[in-house]
Amino acid sequence: MKVIEIKNLHKIYHDTEVEVKAVNGVNLEFEEGEFSAIVGPSGSGKTTLLNVIGGLDAPSSGSVIIDGTDIGTLSSREMIDFRLHNIGFVFQAYNLIPVLTARENAEFIMQLQKKSRAERDARIAELFTAIGIQGKEDIRPNRLSGGQQQRVAVARALASKPKFILADEPTANLDSKSTTNLLDIMRKLNEEENVTFIFSTHDQRVIDRAKRVIVLDDGKVTKDTKTEQ
Amino acid sequence: MKQNNHTILKISWRNIWRNRLRSSIIILAVTVGIFGGLVSTGIMKGMVMGLINNSLENQTSHIQIHNKQFVENNEVGFLMTQTDKLLTDISRDPEVKSACERTKTFGMASTASKAAGVMVNGIDPEKEKTVTGIWKKLIKDKGTYFESNKRNRIVISEKLAKKLNAKIKSKIVITFQDYDGNLTGASFKVEGIYRTQNSMFDGQNVFVRKTDLDKLLDMPPHTAHEIAILLKNYQHTETEVTHIKKIVPDYLVQGWPEIDPYLQVSASMVDFMLYIFMLIILIALGFAIVNTMLMVILERTKELGMIMAIGMNKFKVFKMIFYETTLLAIIGTFVGIVISAVFTLYFGRHGIDISIVGQGFEALGYSTVMKPYLELADYFQVLAMVIITGLIASIFPTIRALKMKPVEAIRD
Repeated sequence: MKVIEIKNLHKIYHDTEVEVKAVNGVNLEFEEGEFSAIVGPSGSGKTTLLNVIGGLDAPSSGSVIIDGTDIGTLSSREMIDFRLHNIGFVFQAYNLIPVLTARENAEFIMQLQKKSRAERDARIAELFTAIGIQGKEDIRPNRLSGGQQQRVAVARALASKPKFILADEPTANLDSKSTTNLLDIMRKLNEEENVTFIFSTHDQRVIDRAKRVIVLDDGKVTKDTKTEQ
Repeated sequence: MKQNNHTILKISWRNIWRNRLRSSIIILAVTVGIFGGLVSTGIMKGMVMGLINNSLENQTSHIQIHNKQFVENNEVGFLMTQTDKLLTDISRDPEVKSACERTKTFGMASTASKAAGVMVNGIDPEKEKTVTGIWKKLIKDKGTYFESNKRNRIVISEKLAKKLNAKIKSKIVITFQDYDGNLTGASFKVEGIYRTQNSMFDGQNVFVRKTDLDKLLDMPPHTAHEIAILLKNYQHTETEVTHIKKIVPDYLVQGWPEIDPYLQVSASMVDFMLYIFMLIILIALGFAIVNTMLMVILERTKELGMIMAIGMNKFKVFKMIFYETTLLAIIGTFVGIVISAVFTLYFGRHGIDISIVGQGFEALGYSTVMKPYLELADYFQVLAMVIITGLIASIFPTIRALKMKPVEAIRD
């Protein structure tokens, strides 16, 4: 089932006199359950593409259709609501709310969705078991390791049961062991719960675990390979 | 909705304590500002309340009735008649605590060496006691309040005694015009010396028995120049004036705000001052809070970008910043109010003696013992003003926060 459809997408930045084509005519489709990595050198347009797919940035032209909705037609208020219910984000710097505990961080998005206490409790228990940080629920982010914080960020992204997760360089700040753990967890969620993951990365360990690798160069897709994994 | 609010409030509350030193400084500033504003207003209010109470207790009472022409000309001939019947009718009113009648005339009081113009108040000492408190103001060991049944006794103030060089048992000759306009006079023996907190009143008023004065003035029976009424509740003055006007339609009935507009103006003025004082303080504090919140927004750019990215709408972002701003101000206000309340209650009971620096106050009718006074409503007004300040102070930082684009904020 097609989750994301990108048609002739352009994103151009006008930097004083220079015109920067960060995304230059990208056409892509993502199916449900994909575990895809968008790779490419710095400045190739990976993060910009992810931001446009996530509705954080507006395209200059072209369209992004998520589950049948052209997100370019949504107002800013509708876009916020759309993101809340359809897209999960994992950021490079974890970006957890420091004054909330691990559990409160993960359930925050469900509170925004007005989910009941019982629903939240069940989902948090399920997620914290899946990401392997049971017992750390009441600890604030500053007392968790980088790997643990990123796992909480994954739990937060999954808590709202989004259609897909966009992860921008999720392993960039993690050591080797934490990266392996995190990738294991994400692959497990992908395989067992059919969660769709789209990464932007230059981390070879992520690329090695991806089921599909999309290479971006100067804003253009130069290679799109499905692996046998 | 409730759940969302609770979470946002929880985040705001915890955010306050992320930088304890900075928040404590702001809270302290608010506390000091609120304490300063409330206590200075309390002191002003206490002084004015003292002035009003003194004036009502010793001089004005709550309601006075006169012959209209007497008020205009102060001539002895402008009387009220059948005052015995009037007093009986008025006393039947359940709102009236007590009432008394007075004969009043201007006269010249003189001793062997000095003379002074005075207002001679002819009173029934026992009835007067139920309406005014001059009898309580008698200086210890300086005579009595008409305990002697002898004729032509006078109670004068300490100020006048000094001016006339008079003591207890001194003779004072008072001359005045009688009912027919003839100059008359009599010698009075000083029976008591009083002192109120209003030196202007003290310098002008002497008290004699009404029976003695009526005889000297040749007043017809059951007549008086003034009826003074004390109500059970002074706040009912306005309605009682209307009611008593129906009982005595031929005479001028006035409540204390009309008799002494200065008192009324002072009371309103001090309430107005509370607003002005607090407004100035809160504007200053508002700037400090805005500055702090702008720093906070700058520090949390990435965090705000993230919460907007994952789906927190603008209204909730505004609520979060509003709660944090207002909570900062409310904590300071709460502490300020508690300290002010303790201060006001303690010194309201024990008073602050400012006689060393405030002798001139007495000349204006104010007490030299300041007793701060604040009503519960004053605290609530301040709290409401603080919440409004919080709302206004949170607008600018919120605009800054909402102008952020999540994608740029996260990148920062």
